Amino acid sequence: MRLVKQLHLRMRALFRGGRVEEEMDEEIRYHLDRQIEANLAAGMTPEDARLAALREFGGVDQRREECRDARGVSLIESALQDITYALRSLRKSPGFTAIAVFSLALGIGANTTIFSFVNAVLLRPLPYPESQRLITLREQPSDSSTTVAVHPLNFLEWHSRSHSFEALALVQVIPTNLLGSDGADQITVAQTTADLFKSFGVTPAIGRFFTERETRPGGPPVAVLSHACWQRRFGSDPGVLGRRLELSDGYLTVIGIAPPGLRLGLAEPDAYVPLAIDPANPGAIGSRSFQCYGRLKPGVTVDAARAEMSVIAAQLARQYPLDEGYGVSVSTLHDYLVMEGRPALRLLMAVVAMVLVIACVNLAGLLMARGLGRRPELALRTSLGATRFRLVRQLVIESLVLSALGGATGLGVAWWATRGLASLTGGALAIGATEPIRVDGTCLLFTVGVSALTAIAFGLIPAWQASRVDPQAALGERTRGGTADRRHHRLRGALVTAEVALAVVLLVGAGLLLRTFSSLTGVRLGFEPAGTITMRLFLGDRDAEYRIGVVDRILQRVEAVPGVEAASTIQFLPLSGMNCGTGVWLDGQPVGDANHALPTDCSLISRGYFKAMGIPVLQGRGFDAHDRIGSPRVVVVNQSFARQYFRDGRALGQRITVAGPGQQAAEIIGIAGDVRHNGLAVDPVPTVFLLHAQTPGYITSLVIRATRDPSALAPSIRRAIQEVDRTQAVAGIRTMEEYLGESLARPRLYAALVAGFAVLALTLAMLGVYGLIAYLVTQRTHEIGIRMALGAERGRIFRDMFQQGALLSVAGLATGVVVALVLARLTSSLLYGVTSRDPLTYAAATLGLLLMALIATAVPARRASRVDPMTALRYE
Amino acid sequence: MSKPTDLVQGTLDLLILKVIALEPMHGWAIAIRIRQMSNSVLQVGQGSLYPALHKLEHQGWITAEWGESDNGRRAKYYSLTREGRRALAHESAQWERLSTAISSIVTA
Repeated sequence: MRLVKQLHLRMRALFRGGRVEEEMDEEIRYHLDRQIEANLAAGMTPEDARLAALREFGGVDQRREECRDARGVSLIESALQDITYALRSLRKSPGFTAIAVFSLALGIGANTTIFSFVNAVLLRPLPYPESQRLITLREQPSDSSTTVAVHPLNFLEWHSRSHSFEALALVQVIPTNLLGSDGADQITVAQTTADLFKSFGVTPAIGRFFTERETRPGGPPVAVLSHACWQRRFGSDPGVLGRRLELSDGYLTVIGIAPPGLRLGLAEPDAYVPLAIDPANPGAIGSRSFQCYGRLKPGVTVDAARAEMSVIAAQLARQYPLDEGYGVSVSTLHDYLVMEGRPALRLLMAVVAMVLVIACVNLAGLLMARGLGRRPELALRTSLGATRFRLVRQLVIESLVLSALGGATGLGVAWWATRGLASLTGGALAIGATEPIRVDGTCLLFTVGVSALTAIAFGLIPAWQASRVDPQAALGERTRGGTADRRHHRLRGALVTAEVALAVVLLVGAGLLLRTFSSLTGVRLGFEPAGTITMRLFLGDRDAEYRIGVVDRILQRVEAVPGVEAASTIQFLPLSGMNCGTGVWLDGQPVGDANHALPTDCSLISRGYFKAMGIPVLQGRGFDAHDRIGSPRVVVVNQSFARQYFRDGRALGQRITVAGPGQQAAEIIGIAGDVRHNGLAVDPVPTVFLLHAQTPGYITSLVIRATRDPSALAPSIRRAIQEVDRTQAVAGIRTMEEYLGESLARPRLYAALVAGFAVLALTLAMLGVYGLIAYLVTQRTHEIGIRMALGAERGRIFRDMFQQGALLSVAGLATGVVVALVLARLTSSLLYGVTSRDPLTYAAATLGLLLMALIATAVPARRASRVDPMTALRYE
Repeated sequence: MSKPTDLVQGTLDLLILKVIALEPMHGWAIAIRIRQMSNSVLQVGQGSLYPALHKLEHQGWITAEWGESDNGRRAKYYSLTREGRRALAHESAQWERLSTAISSIVTA
């Protein structure tokens, strides 16, 4: 009952505030009138009676305020008042408001933009049921920090020995040629064991997934189509179930459609087919080239699974030579997918946070100056009965209003920038994101949080300081330079120092990333990317003779296309992210003994590869048309191989055996130049080149060197291939320059983004330095006038003012360099060709900033030295 | 917004409750009545009277109604609520205890 009444009173006070105020006024007026009457009756003159009554009552406004407080609604009511007041006072200084809102919008906008990426990649859970239980198992060589794909033998062992998982599935995604009415198309097919959908916790949208029986060797050729493939190729026709899909090497019967959005890694394959593992010979289907997904049993943690798997791995390492030196890596699928993108996103988040801090520091400076200017106003309010709390609250609300405006504008900036950045950068910034990047509810919440936080960060100190007014001193203030001013200057000086320091850190970061980018562009690739076009071929599950013959015929036919200078193939293109590692035995070593095999990369190429790719053959010769399946086995090695495995690099004519199916000794007939195959930042490793015509693979890529624009040749090359074999699809038509561009895209993006933010930070910091010195000059114009009148030289005045700015800048620089030295180490995983302590970068950043800071100081300092003493003395 | 000390504040609350327990009264009359009843010993700071009234109203101990005053003008009349009566009894007992305790020390 009482609560209702109370609520009623509060609501009445809040929403019918006008009426409540009127009643209060009437009540007080009534009281005063009665008192005046009483005073008159006591024989006072009317004037005296009125004054006495007022005196006895005390300040009417003050009483009113106390009554409001007593009623308890005042908090909301006066907050609304403060907001109105804040808006009015911001409108009165549009210049200040514009600068503040603009810099906040940039700072908050940058933060929300990067956060929307962080949110999409790192925070948003994967779009599967209870996705935190979804894990991936990989093999972990004990001598390496990176994990490798899974061997089928190990999968079988893990599957039977472990108890942590509800489901485990082994998957390999391979290309396949699907025959349609208008020629062949290359599609991707995920070969998988039966529990894949169970691992992801999903069920087919239509039809069924294949059973354990269907994944045994000799099972029926059934397929589950991906949702996207079903939509694209079959127009979402449910009648596709039971239909037969013709392949270049067989057929598939459709038994189901996968749910939408199921991805393996980051891509949605076109179809899922059974992967049959022969328990008697699991290695028959391949070696360490499979992905393993699984689902933890409810209640089992990743750590528990990790512990169990490390025990199993140790057992396996004792049992199988294959597993010697290998452990098992267990991670949630989410962690695994975002592993690559995480360092850069963290770095960018830190960078934009620093930009925001600088923007806030700047604003704090501006607000402090504004606070000093408003001292008479605040003093007046104090003397009228406003408490310090009330003043601080009003000033903080003013900064809240500012930051709300900045945040709202920033949200607009972010919405626009997020879309722009997501489409401009492709996937370069969103590695691991499974859903489109957008500003969603979480981002909105983030923006609101950041805005509120910034308001408090940049608003509280100035508000606290400005509210520390002594009304008498402030109202009567005519001279400057009191203790409040000195405190003010010290604090602002500290803020400017911090700002300069942060700018140095960002400049150093940008410098290091720019140097990285320039080292990467300057890297010697070892091949000539210009003028080459490439495309992927899947030769089909056919016999060796066919696979050799078809490549031979395709190359002959393509070489006849006008504009083609040379054509060849390689299994995995340089910089495509794919490679093949194996072992090699030198002459005289026990072939087949894994302990004596030397590690090497292996490339399966066709004749004329070195010419087509522009790789120099340094000694001996490359493969030619005479090297065939019946002729003596030959290999070419790269320079690193020759240098590392043979004394003085004398590899030519030596015999080696490369591990692999049908391995036999082969003669080294040539030494080719080193190529950066595994990435621009990865040094070339020993590599042996095998000949497709002697040991044919199943997939390969065409490399074509053109005499004119290579992309224009694509259609005629495609036609030439279909003329050779109607069932031969091509995929991934790209120039080598595009691969190169992709390798550079991320370093370029990081460098560009950080450099952009650093420039922003620098500009803001310089505005801060300029603002402080300019403010000091204005404050001290009077003093300067006096000194000049007393004979001080202009040079002396300039030096004095300049010195202050220079000292702050140097202090900031020194702090910044120290902080940068500490922080830059964290970026080392993103650097190449430059250390995190690169002296050149530090020198450039320091000198550049010093120069800017000195200019920012010199301009107002010069103005100080040109003060006209007469004007200055009349100042105010 | 200098607040009276707790003792004074509490005492004023008690006096107000006691005075309007007899009949509903408006602010000015309350001030006069307190002065009269205490034989002019207690002078209510008129300034603190109204905040106290608003506070008590907000606490739900008293309730206010507009009515016509003895001189024919509209005035705000305060009266005790049930809760206010309970509070008055409690506060009076408190005061009784306190003043007895103090006077027993002072007169000892």
